[in-house]
Amino acid sequence: MGSVVFKNVVKNFGALNVLRSLDLTVPDHKFLALLGPSGCGKTTALRILAGLDMPTAGKVFIGERDVTRLQPRDRDIAMVFQSYALYPQMTVADNIGYPLWIRGTSEAGRKAKIGEVAAILEIGHLLDRRPRQLSGGQRQRVALARAIVRDPAAFLMDEPLSNLDARLRLTMRGEIKRLCQRLSATTIYVTHDQVEALTMADLVAVMQGGELQQMAPPIEIYDRPANRFVATFVGNPPMNILPAALCEQGVTVATGIVPVDQTRLAACRLAEIVEIGLRPEDCSVAPPGEAGVLQGEIYVVEPMGNETLVNVRLEGGNVQVRAGRDFRGVVGESIGVAFDPANACFFNSGGLTAVHRVNNNGRVK
Amino acid sequence: MRTGTQARKYRLQGAGLDLALPYLMLAPGLTIVLGVLVYPLWDGLRASTRAYRYGSPVADVGLQNYLHLWSDAQFLNALWVTVKFVALSVSFEAVLGFALALFCLHEFRGIRLLRTVLIIPMVITPVVVAIVFRLIYASDAGMLTALSKATGGGEVQILGNPLNAFIGLVALDVWEWTPLMFLILLAGLQSLPHEPFEAARVDGAGAWRVFADLTFPMMRPVLAVAIVLRTIDAFGTFDQVFVLTRGGPGEATRLISIYGYDTAFKFQQTGYAAALFVTIGLVVLALAFSAIRLLRRVDAS
Ligand SMILES: Nc1ncnc2c1ncn2[C@@H]1O[C@H](COP(=O)(O)OP(=O)(O)OP(=O)(O)O)[C@@H](O)[C@H]1O
Ligand SMILES: [Mg+2]
Repeated sequence: MGSVVFKNVVKNFGALNVLRSLDLTVPDHKFLALLGPSGCGKTTALRILAGLDMPTAGKVFIGERDVTRLQPRDRDIAMVFQSYALYPQMTVADNIGYPLWIRGTSEAGRKAKIGEVAAILEIGHLLDRRPRQLSGGQRQRVALARAIVRDPAAFLMDEPLSNLDARLRLTMRGEIKRLCQRLSATTIYVTHDQVEALTMADLVAVMQGGELQQMAPPIEIYDRPANRFVATFVGNPPMNILPAALCEQGVTVATGIVPVDQTRLAACRLAEIVEIGLRPEDCSVAPPGEAGVLQGEIYVVEPMGNETLVNVRLEGGNVQVRAGRDFRGVVGESIGVAFDPANACFFNSGGLTAVHRVNNNGRVK
Repeated sequence: MRTGTQARKYRLQGAGLDLALPYLMLAPGLTIVLGVLVYPLWDGLRASTRAYRYGSPVADVGLQNYLHLWSDAQFLNALWVTVKFVALSVSFEAVLGFALALFCLHEFRGIRLLRTVLIIPMVITPVVVAIVFRLIYASDAGMLTALSKATGGGEVQILGNPLNAFIGLVALDVWEWTPLMFLILLAGLQSLPHEPFEAARVDGAGAWRVFADLTFPMMRPVLAVAIVLRTIDAFGTFDQVFVLTRGGPGEATRLISIYGYDTAFKFQQTGYAAALFVTIGLVVLALAFSAIRLLRRVDAS
């Protein structure tokens, strides 16, 4: 078992700078979700950790051991590849059992282990097939099985659920989480699905353009995003961002003035904030014309079954609002958006969060 | 409805020109194949059932020529020499070619030049290769003799000694045709997906296990095709032997092709030679088919 540390890791592909000085520490036994948009360098970071690519500069440690120049097989890791990387000429059972076979596990021990993980991943009926006779989702589960069949120091998983259907993804999400907790191995789980990241991980690291934006527990990532990018990338629908200006009593947003208490206002002033961020669930629809309510008109209404998403057009841009399931509204109707400024956060001109929401637990609605 | 008088034209599939076009396009190729492949084959088959004297057929002997082959000690010896030659050369070429291909798979400085140089023997005319090897092997002024003399030895007998001449012939074939194996196998290796190899490295496999568990099984179909191709080709080896040894000394390097040539042109037994070549053709065909069958079975299991 071991912690995983990236120390100033830089990776260039020729002139292309993919990782700019990545610093990341995953404590022992923790489940880290590496979250970021496509092409931000997640797979690259994972491949460097696995030893398949050498970093241009910097060091990688697994459990105190400097593994930067070590062969992959001496790093004691198991990896799920984004492209599955199954062994084409072996059966599914042989694929899953290969890491054990290499380590000289007995035939009986191997069989038992293969059966066990195949049952977890619901692929027990496929053991005699070959990879090319499987669907994408089945291949992905075989790749996952091949990783979890072992008991390594660290699991590296590169979008292991990306190809599964919605139901299977939900079950597998739970199974992987349970399994990693049971094996208590350090896990790095790459995903661009923020729901997966928030639900599964102990820690979420958000990356963009080869740089780490923020690393924190899921709740903190959600409630106290370090910057505008994290704020809009995490959360579905994403956080609403509106231009904001400071005035005497508070902050001017769209056409309305939002009262903000004095200490926060002072902080806002000091940081010269330019934008306000509001989560959709912190907003509510209100009759237009009330005091402290932003004026707008309904742009789109999306009933979700358990709630209704209302997109309201305001002066400075559109805002998503989570309304009750019985919300009825007509496009073009004028409507108000209400919120408690204590739940809002403010960004400065550099895109950093200057003033966070007041309370990050008990949400005020 | 459209107002114009022009009726829309609907074209049918598989009618009109569509129907004739394939045959029209096939015709030239087919004519050539009939002329240079099918007719000679048929003519050869006919010749193999006749007895000849002074170059012209004198009698129909049925399958007599074919039966006679199996009691002809010279034929049996030639067959044995050929089988030995093919088996030895092709296995050396396969092993060497595979090793070279594996080596040339890595990218390093000068690799392109190396790959090009390795292919050169294959593109030299076989007769020229044989002449060069004769110069190397010659016992009086050959390169090997010169080398041996320089290091204090005596003359090196290659072409005069039955065993050495045979080994020399195999060496020539290996030199000339390893590049073909190398080329086919390199192309095969380069077309393998490389993620499985990365997965194996992470899973803990060392270089040898990666080769035995992944590279070799994945390359088996390509390897089989290359071996079948080379085997068929090696059975017909003629020009190098003709120039190098003419089958000698004695019958040490007399391959089936040389024996057939001698029967046809030295001894003028055209019918017998035809029967001989038809038999060899069938043997090679059977070999190729069984190799491909074997390959299919391995692939399906
Ligand atoms: N071998 C390579 N050579 C050159 N550029 C590469 C190579 N591998 C990756 N890149 C580039 O590095 C960047 C990051 O790639 P990476 O695969 O790490 O993205 P990712 O975050 O995993 O994206 P995704 O979510 O789409 O898988 C991309 O712009 C990609 O084009
Ligand atoms: Mg990726």
